Order: sequence, then C-alpha cells, then structure tokens
Amino acid sequence: MIAPLHTYIVLSALLFAIGFFGVLLRKNTLVIFMGLELMLVASTLALAAFSRYNGTIDGDVFVFFILTVAAAEVAVGLAIIVALFRRRQTIEVDELDALKN
Amino acid sequence: MSPVSLAFAVLLLPLASAAIIALFLRRAGGLASAVSVLAATGIAGLALLLALGNYRFEASFEWLRLGDFVLSIGLKLDDLAALMLCIVGVVGLCIHVFSLGYMHDDAARARYFGGLSIFMFSMLGIVLADNLFMLFIFWELVGFSSWLLIGHWHERPSASAAAKKAFIVNRVGDFGFLLGIILCYWANGTVNLTALGGHHVFSTLIPLLLFCGAVGKSAQLPLQVWLPDAMEGPTPVSALIHAATMVAAGIYMLCRINVLMVPEALTIIMWVGTATALYAALCAIVQSDIKKVLAYSTLSQLGYMVAAFGLGSLRGTHLLTIGEAAQLIPPGTPIIGLDIAPRVYAAGVGAAMFHLTTHAFFKALLFLGSGSVIHACHHEQNIFKMGGLAKKLPLTFWTFTIGVAAIIGLPFLAGFFSKDAILYLAFANNRAVFAVLAFTAILTALYMVRLWKLVFLGAPRSDAAGHAHENNLVITLPLVVLAALAVLGGYTGIYPKVFTGVFELIPEAHGSAHLVILVTSLAVLLIGAGLALVIYKPSSTDAIAEKSPVLFGALAALRNSFDAVYDYYVEKIQQRFAMLLSALERILLAGLIVQGLAGLVGLFGLGARALHVGKINAYVYWFFGGTVVLWLFVMGVL
Repeated sequence: MIAPLHTYIVLSALLFAIGFFGVLLRKNTLVIFMGLELMLVASTLALAAFSRYNGTIDGDVFVFFILTVAAAEVAVGLAIIVALFRRRQTIEVDELDALKN
Repeated sequence: MSPVSLAFAVLLLPLASAAIIALFLRRAGGLASAVSVLAATGIAGLALLLALGNYRFEASFEWLRLGDFVLSIGLKLDDLAALMLCIVGVVGLCIHVFSLGYMHDDAARARYFGGLSIFMFSMLGIVLADNLFMLFIFWELVGFSSWLLIGHWHERPSASAAAKKAFIVNRVGDFGFLLGIILCYWANGTVNLTALGGHHVFSTLIPLLLFCGAVGKSAQLPLQVWLPDAMEGPTPVSALIHAATMVAAGIYMLCRINVLMVPEALTIIMWVGTATALYAALCAIVQSDIKKVLAYSTLSQLGYMVAAFGLGSLRGTHLLTIGEAAQLIPPGTPIIGLDIAPRVYAAGVGAAMFHLTTHAFFKALLFLGSGSVIHACHHEQNIFKMGGLAKKLPLTFWTFTIGVAAIIGLPFLAGFFSKDAILYLAFANNRAVFAVLAFTAILTALYMVRLWKLVFLGAPRSDAAGHAHENNLVITLPLVVLAALAVLGGYTGIYPKVFTGVFELIPEAHGSAHLVILVTSLAVLLIGAGLALVIYKPSSTDAIAEKSPVLFGALAALRNSFDAVYDYYVEKIQQRFAMLLSALERILLAGLIVQGLAGLVGLFGLGARALHVGKINAYVYWFFGGTVVLWLFVMGVL
C-alpha cells in the first residue's frame, strides 16, 4: 500500500521541529549542526513527497541539488568545528562569544 | 594715444605698481618705493596733461550683464573731474616724495608704498567713474586702502583698533550709500551720471541716502568718530588720505550728483555740515596731539565744504558772451555791448570745490609739516613737549606758518578766498549758517595759532625738541611746493581756463555784501588769532585747563560724547542683543537640531547595540522571530 501524502508531511514537520528545537536549545555546536542537517533533510523529504504526489521530477531535482550542497556544507562546517575545537578547546556556544567582546 | 586710453593709463598705472610691489617686491623696500613714486609721477604728469590739454570725454563699456542689469566701467572726464584729478595727482606726488624720507627706516616700507599705490588707484577710480555703481566699487576700495594704511603699524593695538574703527564706521555710511544707489537705479533705471543729469525722478530720499556715504567718508556728524583715531597711521597717510583726498571724496561725490539734489535734502546737508564744522572746531581747542589738532581741523573744514554744498544755488547775473547773446537775441537786432542776463547757478558746488582745492593744498602742507616736526622730534607728538622749533627747523617753520596763515584766512592766501566764497554764499542764503560759520572761523584761528605758537615759539620743553634738527631735502621739498600752492591756490585767475566749468560757479561777493564779508573775515581772524596769542604761553600745560578747568572739561566731554554713546550702544545694547542671539542659536540650532539629531541617532545605536549579545542562540531566536514576522506579513496578518 502506498502511504498517503499527509503522513510524509507530518513526518517532515516532526523532523523539522526536532532539528529546529535542537538548534534553539542545545549548547553544543556539533549537536546544533546536526539539528541544522535534520531540518535540511526534513525539507528534502517534503520535496520528494510532493514530487511523487504530483508525478513530476521538479522536487527530485531540488533534492539532488540540496544533497550535493549539504554534503559540501557538512565538510566545511565540520572542518570549522574541528578547527574551532583545536583553537579554543571547546565547542560550547555559550563560551564562543568573541563577537561580542 | 587717445585721451580715453590716456585716462585708462592714469587709472591702471598705480594698480600695476601695486601689483608689482605685492607680487615681487615685498622684501625690497627701496625698489618698491621707487616703483611707487615713479607711478605717482606718471599719474601727476598724465593728469596734468589730460586736464590742461582740455581733453573732455565720456567713455564706457559693458563689464557685467546680469539679465537686464548692465554694470559698466566708464570714465567721465569733465571740468570737475579734471580739477579733482589734478589735485589728487599733484598732492599725491608731493606726499609720495615726502614718504621717501619719512618712511625711510620703516621695516615694512614695501607694504606702505604698495598701499599708497592701491590708494591712488582707488581714488582715481572715484574721480573718473561715470556711474554710481563703479563709484561705489572704488569707494569701497579707498575704504580698504585706508584701513590698510591706518593699520600700517599694526603691532600697536591702538593702530589696528583705529583701522578697524575707520572701516566699520565707514561701512555704516556706505550702507546708506548703497541703498541710495539701488533706489536711484530702481527709480530712474540708470545710475549713469550724465543720463541722470538728463532726466531723473525728483526725490528727497535718494540724495539723502547718497549723502550717507559722504557722511561716512567725509566724517560728518554723527560718523565723525573715526577720523581723529585714524591719525594712528603714518603722517603722510594722514596728509594724503585723511586730509587732502579721500575724505574730500565725499564732497566730490556730492558735487558729482548735484543734479539729483532737491531743496529739502540740501537743507539737511547744510545743517549737518555746519554742525560738524562747529563741533570739530570746539574739539580741536583741547587737543594736545599735533596730529589730532589737525584732524579736528580737517573735520571742521570738511564741515565747511559740506555746508557750502548744502547752501545750494545762488541767483546771480553774468555777462553774456557774444555767442550766447546771438542765440538769445532775435537776429537782426543790433547788439550794443554785452548784455547782462540773470542766471541761477550751483554756487554750492563752486564754493565747496574751491575750498576743497585750497584745503587740499594747505592741509596737506600742514600735515606734512607736522610730519617733519614729528620726524625731527623722534616721534614726539605732544605739542606741550615741543616749543622753540622755529630756529631748529627754519624751513618747516616758514612753510608751516604759511599753512596756518592760509587756513585761518589771512588775506591774499588761499584759505582767505575760498572761505570768503563760502561765507558770502551763507550770507546770501542763510544768515544763521553764516553766523555759525563765522564763529567757527574764530575758533579755527584760535586753535591753529595755539598750535603754531606752542610748537614753534618759546623754548624747547623736552629733550626730543631740544635736539631736533631740520630734515633733508626729500622731506622739505614737498613742503615748499605745497606752500607755494597754498599761497597761489586761492587766485582763480591763475587756474587755466580748462577748469571754467567749476570755477565759474564760485560765488564772489559784490556790492555791499563784499564789505560785510571782508569785515567779518578780518574780524574773526583778528579775534581768533589775538585770543590765541594772549591766552597761550609757551608752557607744558594747557592754559585753558589751568584757568578754566570747567570749560576745558566741558570741551573734552563734548569731544568724548560721541565715542561714549557709541561705546554704550555697542557694549550695552548691541553686545546684549548679540548674546541673546548667541544663546538662541545655542539652544535652538546647535542644541535642539544639531545635538538633538545626533542624540537620537546615538540612542538608536545604543538600542541596536543591546541586541548584539554575541550568543549564537540569541541570534537564532531573533532569526526565528524575524521569520515569524515575515510569515505573518506575507499572510496578511500584519
């Protein structure tokens, strides 16, 4: 049986909410980063579902691009976090307030 | 060269000299003085050539066009201008030569001679100008050069204060002058002197406003306060600018615009001049500075000229020339001899210009004489510390004596004739003015003889006077030339026929009036000079101050009254008003608008800075909030 569209939308919204609150509430940069990725994935899921529902490949094409960019972004983002940890010995956002002072 | 280009050459020669000195010769005092004196010689030569060669013309070209308004630069050389041109040229040359000696050791000689040249340029511009706007431009330029030369010794605070005072007081008069010119242009559509002579609107206001300029420049009441202070300048400057030429420019300007005059304006002008003559003569009696005495004497004589101008025209007769007779009388009538025709002529112009001419000679002589005395006494100017200089400075003594004799109106000297012309005019037109002017003549004789006696007679009363010795030829030669002019300048017969346009206007006493004037003139001379000889003994204190302190105090108070009033006005009224405006400016402009706006922006910045906390979480919340707002906006909720 084929799951109806709204289940995908709900799942996507749940994933997005988890990622969003992860970004909002967690203090560890790595976890925040994971939350960001989760939101990204939630949106690609919604896109793929809509694409299937409409019978076009517009959404799928978007997903391809988003995944590609996300892969590059993960590489850069993780590298920044590693470099940050090397320099500051911490990746807790509360301690990373050099912008203010 | 055509006469027009000659006239332009006269005008531009001193400008070129000033430019050369200012650009190249600022450190070379000797060369600068040579250039300036050469220019003055050229001016005098060309001026005499133009005047005596009977070149009379008007030439004008457009300089600026602003819409319908055309500002033109033009020269108008008539008999009046030619006479003034000669006075400025000849007296100017004498004073340039005198300056060679007097300013020989001055550190800033180049600036001094440059200033003289720029003054000559400005003055000649006034003399030759054919319209009021051009006249005004040069009018302001003489004000500038006067400021420059009064403040020549600007290290002395009194000199630089005097220069500023002269400039500012003149500005007050010039404001009225400019208003008058604008009004004249508005009413008549032109300010060209010849065109105005053709037709113009009759108005009392225009000539009176124009007269304001003369009140400032010729130092008439109530703007006379700057002239005595202007004596802070070098003595030759006092002679050239503040006695012979620039201060006379006011009278010259009045004669130039004579066509605009109406009886009401003339009456006011007459009384202003009369009051100035009397006031200044009273002040002159209590002065102890040799130059200040001469300054007040200048004021008084300028008052005479203005009064003469204000006395206006005279009804007289003149002999018809054969040509005129032929025009008036129907052809065919046999002309038997020369008929006498009644005429109304501008006697005021004639008398004022005649006195201006003789005054330029003898007052320049007196000032240069005082300069010679001051130079010999090592810059001692107090007449009570002089005395006995007659033997030490024989040439200066004799020339100065001629000057004194000329100004007090000793018969057969220049002042006698010109003063009598004014007295006769006053006698014929207004007896009250005649009485005041006659009384002023007594005072003139009194203070001039007082000065002469205290400076030259008796025994020296200071070391400076005791060690004085006669100056060299550069200083004494101009004195001799001017002394000759002060003797001869009163004989209208010796002036070439080319000045007829002015000299035919000089009123001459005749009939019974002749006797009245002669007796009055001699009586005032004898009373004044006699009083001075009796009252003043060669001593180091003022005889009047000793015998009648009340009278002396009253005269001194009279002298200070105007300055006191102006000081009070400036300090108590103008200064307070300025402070009020300054406070308003600080509160409204600087406070509310400038600082208020800056404060508002700063406050906004303070708020914006508070948002910037440096926590990534906080930024995320803001981002979220922003997204929500955007969403609400897109949904049409907001």
